[in-house]
Amino acid sequence: MIEAKGVYLVYGNGTEALKDVNLKIEKGDIVYITGPSGSGKTSLLKLFMGIEYPTKGELKVLDLPIIKEEENNIRKLRRLIGPVFQEFKLIKGRTALENVMLGLRFLNLPHRKIKEESIMALEKVGLGHKRDSLVEHLSFGETQRVAIARAVVRKPAIILADEPTGNLDIDNALNIMKLLTSFRDEDTAVIITTHATHLLEDRVEGKFIKVNNGVIAVESRGEA
Amino acid sequence: MKNFISNLGYFLKEARTIFRIDFLSNVFSIFSIGLVFFILSMVISGWWISKEVVEVLQKEAEINIYFEENLEDLRIYNLMENIKNIKGVREAKLVDREESYRRMEEILDKEARILELFDENPFQPFIEVKIDIEQVDEILEDIKSLEDIDYIRDNKDIIDKLQKIITVLTIVGLLIITATGISTLVVISHIIRQGIYNNRDQINTLKLLGAPDSFIGFPFLLEGLFLTLVGGILAFGLIFFTFKLGYEQIGTALLFVPLPNMEVLVKTIGSFILILSGILGIIGSFFGLSSAKGN
Repeated sequence: MIEAKGVYLVYGNGTEALKDVNLKIEKGDIVYITGPSGSGKTSLLKLFMGIEYPTKGELKVLDLPIIKEEENNIRKLRRLIGPVFQEFKLIKGRTALENVMLGLRFLNLPHRKIKEESIMALEKVGLGHKRDSLVEHLSFGETQRVAIARAVVRKPAIILADEPTGNLDIDNALNIMKLLTSFRDEDTAVIITTHATHLLEDRVEGKFIKVNNGVIAVESRGEA
Repeated sequence: MKNFISNLGYFLKEARTIFRIDFLSNVFSIFSIGLVFFILSMVISGWWISKEVVEVLQKEAEINIYFEENLEDLRIYNLMENIKNIKGVREAKLVDREESYRRMEEILDKEARILELFDENPFQPFIEVKIDIEQVDEILEDIKSLEDIDYIRDNKDIIDKLQKIITVLTIVGLLIITATGISTLVVISHIIRQGIYNNRDQINTLKLLGAPDSFIGFPFLLEGLFLTLVGGILAFGLIFFTFKLGYEQIGTALLFVPLPNMEVLVKTIGSFILILSGILGIIGSFFGLSSAKGN
């Protein structure tokens, strides 16, 4: 599903964000990418989404090579993944439902199907009753759930969540983790970045990738 | 295409939202575009009216030949025959005093009572000669050489002047069409770029979700089209009222000017402006989108 071989990422200002990354993520995996702020977690996720390209090395996501020259591949890839951005990136002035529908609009589905699927996704995240609310009128937690609904509505092969526990208290953070991992099935992988490693102490299921200074320091697999 | 149709409602709603985000600026743009199109319409109308007037005058090109007073009927007849034989003369007809008087009554219409001030018919008989306008110089030379001619009245100067005006108006018209076209394109592409800038976060999100450029750009294209079409409709309204007023004023002031039918003129110019506004809206939006793409 995702395979990185000797991947480096160097930003335009010379910052070496990732160094010699080698990893493999399979279908149905739950992967936690941990590490302190600035360690390279988000950079890794950006590579997976085709927002950044490897400076060196080989990276394939869903069998599509992540290289700058393959713009169509990147676009195709982005339609196959479900991203939950750290800052959510919901569109203001639109309702929760409209935002979720946006995830499906250009996937060649009939309008009725788009609407039905989006309502179902909102119900799954517990926001069916808020579907007609403008996103700016929702609470932080609700906004985050809308972002999750938009990501999962397209039944993506990979759900990528960047720091979803960011500013949440422990209970809410755990709830969000549970919600995200609930969308994992045998065909869908869930990848979550977080610096809040204490949240993972009780969570033994999944693969743990610890990033430090752009290097994958520890890679381990928890057991259920 | 199926995808496009199922998203039509979304595109229209997005276009409306984009319009509202920069509402005041867009309203001013509509007025600017409307005025630009109005100026264009007036130039085209001026060109059209002049062209039509000249064409009518050319078809009716005639010279009036006044012969010496008390000329015998036979000599008048001979004079007419000689005139008919001149190359370029299409028709020669005697207009007697009564006919002259009647024609003037027709022309003056409600004002014809002014003729009652005369004790007797003030008009002279003359020979009305329809000619081929392109040979007017040669015809005049030949007529001048005939005997019994007192005075020749021709409209050559007026026709020459009108033809010169048409040439100038055509050149000016083309320049103004080019200038207004470019202005509209610049205004529209600038508005689109502005709209893209104002919605950059949304566009960025759509890109991250994998939306194709056509999906992202179409609402902006609709916005551009809407702005120019509303500008075009505004111009159409202005044209209608200006012509209505103008025809009422000019029509009575210049009875001798054969103006084209107002309804036909308004409909033709209006349709042209609306089609042009649509085309310029689409082209301007494409310019705006393609110039913003790199950013």
